[in-house]
Amino acid sequence: MNRQRLRRWFEERYDLTEIGRLAGSKLVPSHRYEIWYYTGGIALFLFVLQFITGMVLALYYVPHFEYAYKSIADIVTKLNMGWFFRSLHHWGAQLAIAALFVHLFSALLLKSYRKPREFLWLSGFILLVISIFFGLSGYLLLWDERAFAAVKVATGGAGNLPVAGHCIKAFLRGGIDVTGETLTRFYAFHVSILPLATLFLIGIHVLLVQYHGLSVPVSLEGKSRREIPFFPNLFLKDLMIWLIMLGIVVTLATLLPPEIGKIADPLAPAPENIKPEWYFLFLFQTLKLFPGEIFGLNGETVAILLISCGICFFFLIPFFDRKSAHGQRSPFFTWIGIFYTLYFIVMTFIGFLS
Amino acid sequence: MKIDYSCVTRRTFLNTLLGGWILAFGSGTLYALCKFAFPTLGKEPDFVILKASDYLEIPVNSVKPFAWGGKLGLFFKNTKGDTFALKGVCTHMECNITYKPEAMKFYCACHKGWFDETGRNIEGPPPKPLEFFDSAIEGEKLVISRKGVKIEPPKA
Repeated sequence: MNRQRLRRWFEERYDLTEIGRLAGSKLVPSHRYEIWYYTGGIALFLFVLQFITGMVLALYYVPHFEYAYKSIADIVTKLNMGWFFRSLHHWGAQLAIAALFVHLFSALLLKSYRKPREFLWLSGFILLVISIFFGLSGYLLLWDERAFAAVKVATGGAGNLPVAGHCIKAFLRGGIDVTGETLTRFYAFHVSILPLATLFLIGIHVLLVQYHGLSVPVSLEGKSRREIPFFPNLFLKDLMIWLIMLGIVVTLATLLPPEIGKIADPLAPAPENIKPEWYFLFLFQTLKLFPGEIFGLNGETVAILLISCGICFFFLIPFFDRKSAHGQRSPFFTWIGIFYTLYFIVMTFIGFLS
Repeated sequence: MKIDYSCVTRRTFLNTLLGGWILAFGSGTLYALCKFAFPTLGKEPDFVILKASDYLEIPVNSVKPFAWGGKLGLFFKNTKGDTFALKGVCTHMECNITYKPEAMKFYCACHKGWFDETGRNIEGPPPKPLEFFDSAIEGEKLVISRKGVKIEPPKA
């Protein structure tokens, strides 16, 4: 009875039948590549998980260089379920970035970026960059020696960019060195600036997906194909996959809680066998390919300039691939896509094993 | 509407005024935000003063760290007993280096860069040698200064 009254209350104010009809009429293409549609949903689910675990961790974390390390130690050792939420936040971040990379490369290889979905590609790419910055800024919040060295290298790398490099480095560090000021700054990025930017971009990204509908690969375009309703068919599958993802994150968080190293000391040498997070390994390996000096120029600057060009081309790929924009097959860009994907995977593995 | 002797219509005039106001307001706001968000940069010191007895007595083939502003400085005594002061920061990606007495070399763990006893970059990615400082003993003080910088430490 109460349920009916509640329904009537809403119906007097909102046209629920029309909303239901709209939702029911939403159809999505069904074909042999449809599995890749779920990668975006997985990333979205993991983002939500990160927001929730991040919010509860922020209740106890102290963003000051004298207390940050101890507050994390307290979270994992003294608070109820603290170790679990910290571990969940750590593994959620790893899997969210992995899901974003899979989503990105699947969009690249299926050419989902082509006209009219250029802004979907651009907003998605910026979301990945933001997520990586989320990872880096979150990493420094530990204030342990590895995080300290990693942020020194990453911000120092940005400093090697020509012209604006020094400005970017100083802006990120909040001074000339990585200090307590950097921690405060990264905390602001991590809990305020980046989440707002992420929410805004996710909003745009999801709205654009609704506006354009799901992309169909060039090879299947024009052919007659099956369409299935989003509600409940695809939505229920999404829910099932999210449940599996939650299971995976919880299992990893329980069995492999992340460690915390020694407290950061600006006067201590960099720790032995230090390696960046896995999503920086391809960059780390690429930098290793370059000598210290190339034709009298700083090798690092040349390397970072070339990498930046490669990333810019990747970012603007919808505007270079003219053939697929006209609905034609473009094997050249398929090879470019394969090259980028393989380069990322191979370099990450080499970095991991070396 | 355009008055005969006017160059622009009233609409163009008002649009330009509004556009100009938005531009001025927007750029002013952005300038103020950037000015606030961009940090006031400090600079590295020209010299630091240490207690000589803490550093001169270190064993041969070893280093002792000191603070060079916010960066790592290393006071180094080589196998012959000669002492040097240097900045303990790798010239590649600014990681802190360490001294390996068994190899008699400086080592950066971040990207496996090596420097010899004189600070020359000999292996790995570092593009430049390490920065060495001048050091002088004045009574009980050990004054470490950037090369070529004339300093007058306070007498007290």
